[in-house]
Amino acid sequence: MRSRITLLLKVAYARAYVRIKGGNREPSWVVWEILLPLLAVASVAYTYMILGAPREYIGFVVIGGAMISYWFNVIWGMGNALYWEKETGNLETFMITPAPLEGLLLGMALGGMFNTTLRALSIVLVGTMAFKASFNPSGLPAAFLIFVLTMVALYSLGMCIASIFLMYSRSGWRAAEVLQEPIMFLSGLYYPISIFPTLIQLLASSIPLTIGMDGIRRSLLLGYNLYDLRFHVISLSVMIPVLAYLAKRMLRYMELRAKVEGRLTLRWM
Amino acid sequence: MAFMYSIETIELSRTFKRNKGRLIYALRDVNIKVRKGEIFGLLGPNGAGKTTLIRILATLLLPTSGKAYVLGYDVVGEANKVREVINVVSGGERSGYGIMTVKENLWYFTQLYGLSRRDGWRKVRELIELLGMEDFADIRLNRLSTGMIQKYNLARGLINDPKVLFLDEPTLGLDVEVAKYIRRLIRKLIKEDPERTIFLTTHYMAEAEELCDRIAIIHKGRIVALGSPEQLKKMICDELVYKLEVKGIYSKLGERLKEAGFSKAVSSKSDITTGLTSLRMVLSSEEEAEEVVKWLIGSGYKVISISKVEPSLEDVFLKLVGGKLSEE
Repeated sequence: MRSRITLLLKVAYARAYVRIKGGNREPSWVVWEILLPLLAVASVAYTYMILGAPREYIGFVVIGGAMISYWFNVIWGMGNALYWEKETGNLETFMITPAPLEGLLLGMALGGMFNTTLRALSIVLVGTMAFKASFNPSGLPAAFLIFVLTMVALYSLGMCIASIFLMYSRSGWRAAEVLQEPIMFLSGLYYPISIFPTLIQLLASSIPLTIGMDGIRRSLLLGYNLYDLRFHVISLSVMIPVLAYLAKRMLRYMELRAKVEGRLTLRWM
Repeated sequence: MAFMYSIETIELSRTFKRNKGRLIYALRDVNIKVRKGEIFGLLGPNGAGKTTLIRILATLLLPTSGKAYVLGYDVVGEANKVREVINVVSGGERSGYGIMTVKENLWYFTQLYGLSRRDGWRKVRELIELLGMEDFADIRLNRLSTGMIQKYNLARGLINDPKVLFLDEPTLGLDVEVAKYIRRLIRKLIKEDPERTIFLTTHYMAEAEELCDRIAIIHKGRIVALGSPEQLKKMICDELVYKLEVKGIYSKLGERLKEAGFSKAVSSKSDITTGLTSLRMVLSSEEEAEEVVKWLIGSGYKVISISKVEPSLEDVFLKLVGGKLSEE
């Protein structure tokens, strides 16, 4: 068991190394990953400023813009990782080694998080400097805890998406697309979900990103402490084992189905 | 663990569902036993089932029925143990990350086998030296030539020092010099570690004959012959192999001879530069050869030459399957 975990961590480190080192050899990522997302955040911030919205709304938008980067990384960086690995022939080579698939996905997640964090920090920095967004430093510990819990839950969800890509390849894109816009809408990217009817609020609260974003906003903008955010922490802590278990089962099941149906090595599908 | 064979398959079959639920047999009741230290060749045309067999043995695909063992481990129930002792190298493969260098890619693969970071880099240096890759070790993978890529692939295949190495068409598309080098390396690998087994698939007859201790010929998913190159050639020792040259380009001449009732073992090849069609036929007697010539002349063909030749593995294949590998 211990050697299996050690192997998983080594694989994750190696894959993250490839992702970070390889990714940064193409400097154009700065444009796609940082400058373009900044424009989206800026346009919403300007809209609120022109409408004369309270200053907190700018901070709201900045946190939303920063957090949504992680969701995109989960879907497109981690979720379809196995699709790209398969298309490039790397999955076949990977699958003949004793390395666990979870290690590969964890590595993709960690590697992707590096660039995503730069993107998120740029958004926060520009938001603070250019749009005068202000944050409450006393909320940092609570925000950090909620951020970590949200990431674990999100990346477990990413593993579920990855297993769909493993089995259905290109068709898995539809599943990922279904998870993109509706989640942007439901998570309250640029607005508080309290504007939704109760039923939709309940539905939105089943998404870890919604809870995480709300918790971080409350801590950094309104100064809530950990006790005030206990329901956020509990909700995320319950979601994590459920999603992690589901991810592991889905991955094993899809791997087995792919081996039965011969899809593991099938490309261009 | 005591085991008798490096690879053993028992009634191994694999089907695929195609359009409208039609079943295609990629492998049908395959029984092979490969001994330790052997270079075992699997010879067959494209689509014969060679790669399917390797994929099952490499735990990438599940069999529909039957059993398969690698070093005594069940490829279905003990996949992880199998993966620790095998590796696979395919001709024309491009696994790895194009934006990373050869060295970096090899190091990445060392980590998949759990080597420590330091041991990983040491292994990379050893492999670069073994395969003479010093000149391009720091070049990105997406900038390598086909020959360099195949050396890199072989290095990757040796990263875990596999006890069973599957080589799937390892010289496919390579120029003569690189192909020669790879064949030399294959022999060296066995010489250095007599416990190692190499399972080689190829559709180059000469390569199989030169390298393999034993060869299985696979056709439409079935093993149709198995033995050493000499044993296989003895299968046609009672027959005669003739080579004929006919003036003109006749792509269907082989088929016409079969239709005319002569040997089923006929292959033909036309060469537009010389304007000749060459035939290779496995015949039962000199009289039958005379009849073939008579038939050709009577049908309006101009026979340039006829000669009796030494049987080769190509002729064994011709007799068993009824065509050349490249015609299949």
